Amino acid sequence: MTTVRSEAQKRVLVCVVVFCLAALILPWVGPGPLHVRDTLRFGSLDSYIFLQLRVTRTLLALFAGGALSLAGALFQAMLRDALATPYTLGVSTGASLGAVVMISFGWSIVWGIPATWIGALAGAAVVLVMVMGVAARQRRISAFGLLLTGVAVNSVCGSLILLLYSMAGVAHSFSISRWLIGSVDATGYGSLTLFATIVIIVSAVVIAQAKHWNLMAVDEQWAASRGVRVRSLLLEGYIFGSALTAGAIALTGPIGFVGLIVPHMVRGRISSDHRILMPCAFLLGGTLLSICDALGRVLLSPAEVPAGVILALLGGPYLIWLVRERL
Amino acid sequence: MNALLQLENVSFSYPGRPVFGEVSFEANAGEFIALLGSNGAGKSTLLDTITGLREPTSGTIAIEGKPASEWRPSERARRVAHLPQSVRPDLPFTVEQLVLMGRYPHGEAWFDSPADIAAAHAAMQRTACWEYRSRRVFTLSGGERQRVLLAACLAQNGSVCLMDEPSVFLDIEQQLRCFDLLAEEARNGKLCIAVTHDLNLALSYCSRLLVLADHKLVVDCSTRSARHDSGWLGFFSNRLQLGDTPNGKPWVWYR
Repeated sequence: MTTVRSEAQKRVLVCVVVFCLAALILPWVGPGPLHVRDTLRFGSLDSYIFLQLRVTRTLLALFAGGALSLAGALFQAMLRDALATPYTLGVSTGASLGAVVMISFGWSIVWGIPATWIGALAGAAVVLVMVMGVAARQRRISAFGLLLTGVAVNSVCGSLILLLYSMAGVAHSFSISRWLIGSVDATGYGSLTLFATIVIIVSAVVIAQAKHWNLMAVDEQWAASRGVRVRSLLLEGYIFGSALTAGAIALTGPIGFVGLIVPHMVRGRISSDHRILMPCAFLLGGTLLSICDALGRVLLSPAEVPAGVILALLGGPYLIWLVRERL
Repeated sequence: MNALLQLENVSFSYPGRPVFGEVSFEANAGEFIALLGSNGAGKSTLLDTITGLREPTSGTIAIEGKPASEWRPSERARRVAHLPQSVRPDLPFTVEQLVLMGRYPHGEAWFDSPADIAAAHAAMQRTACWEYRSRRVFTLSGGERQRVLLAACLAQNGSVCLMDEPSVFLDIEQQLRCFDLLAEEARNGKLCIAVTHDLNLALSYCSRLLVLADHKLVVDCSTRSARHDSGWLGFFSNRLQLGDTPNGKPWVWYR
């Protein structure tokens, strides 16, 4: 901590290099080999696969993984609970419910935009407004109150998802379960640019508050007695964390584990100081999801394994190992 | 000249349950005050109210002559350092990281300044936790953790130090060192108010006693006068007696 500035710069720089390497290398990984010469020839099939499918998919994984991982680190600090995830506070289940509603009604495109994106963002927004409304009625906001509301919302939305799933026809129920697993698919550059811009701006705001989150992660009163404006910080954290989560879920579905294991890994191996933890979690979370997506493309080729499944298969044992090591 | 800390008719109550009412006193730089009272008398709540963690139900608190509510949170935190009764960080912060958090109100910058680092190091050395500065806080014993929290408060360098049971969990030697430190802070021009249940430490180190009982401030006297009139002991137990040690120090003992 005495050299936190140079330490942070060094460690974050290493993570930036890893993130950039993933962006450069992973688009070349896939079921069919791409030839460099053909890929560089504009208009060729290899060029199309590389630019329209692999690059967009890798970038989506990098930003979605980064967003989920940063949201995980944020919620862990907010709730002072190392097991908190982007899915703990209910917004993600609301997003999932919104997407499932769209699939159940058979809507695939609305106003030229994938209906699951609109459903997920609308579902997240409804939950966000509901939770904020409850907090406003109580004229106070606390991490404990958010947690309780989140648990209640998770429970209600989860039940509604199951209800819709059981009432949907075969085709729709397959689509629902496929979406709920979470996967990274190729997307257009327009939506990717919009998503990446939002993620970068929101992440920058969250990381700029990292010093405050250090104190909040110890104790709310500890933070308040040192001059942190606890209520407004909690409110901002909840809104920004929800925006990161909802945006990622809208595009990839509810991919689990990345928001849990990456902050854990960074906290244990790099630093628990949020000024280092948060940027590193973003960069390594994106890298991990993009690697899992690339692995999913080649492991059972020509079939694809969803990135959410690979993450769960890697993340579960890693978490058990981590817990055993600490005990 | 204004007192460093002024409380005027300060009351605090939960819905349907008064905690304390009409508490008024003034305190100045250089004083070391013991805040005493039985369990549930409202001592911690009073410290929380002065710190700004709770809004008083009525009454006014002024710090350096200015109403406490008019200070911005960071300005108030630069003036008032608060040691809470218990903090148990579950996330794996190191001792050094936790102590440096005491410097939070002093800098808007994202990184700690050399002055912040120097203040944190000095505080860790004063509370004898320098040797384990790299350890994670959740691996420490209760006493070791208490010294870390004390170091964070010293690093905060407020002109008012509010200590909620600063010697809890500490062994005898560390209890004495803790009160030595607070007395030294008072001699250096700070105002220290310590909640304690150890009447002997209070009588040996503090210059003034405040006793909360029956939801109000029932005793506000100098330690010197408390030695001559032991009636205040009745607020704690009717088995207590006040005497002197062979070297003339006051000593409370029980029958």
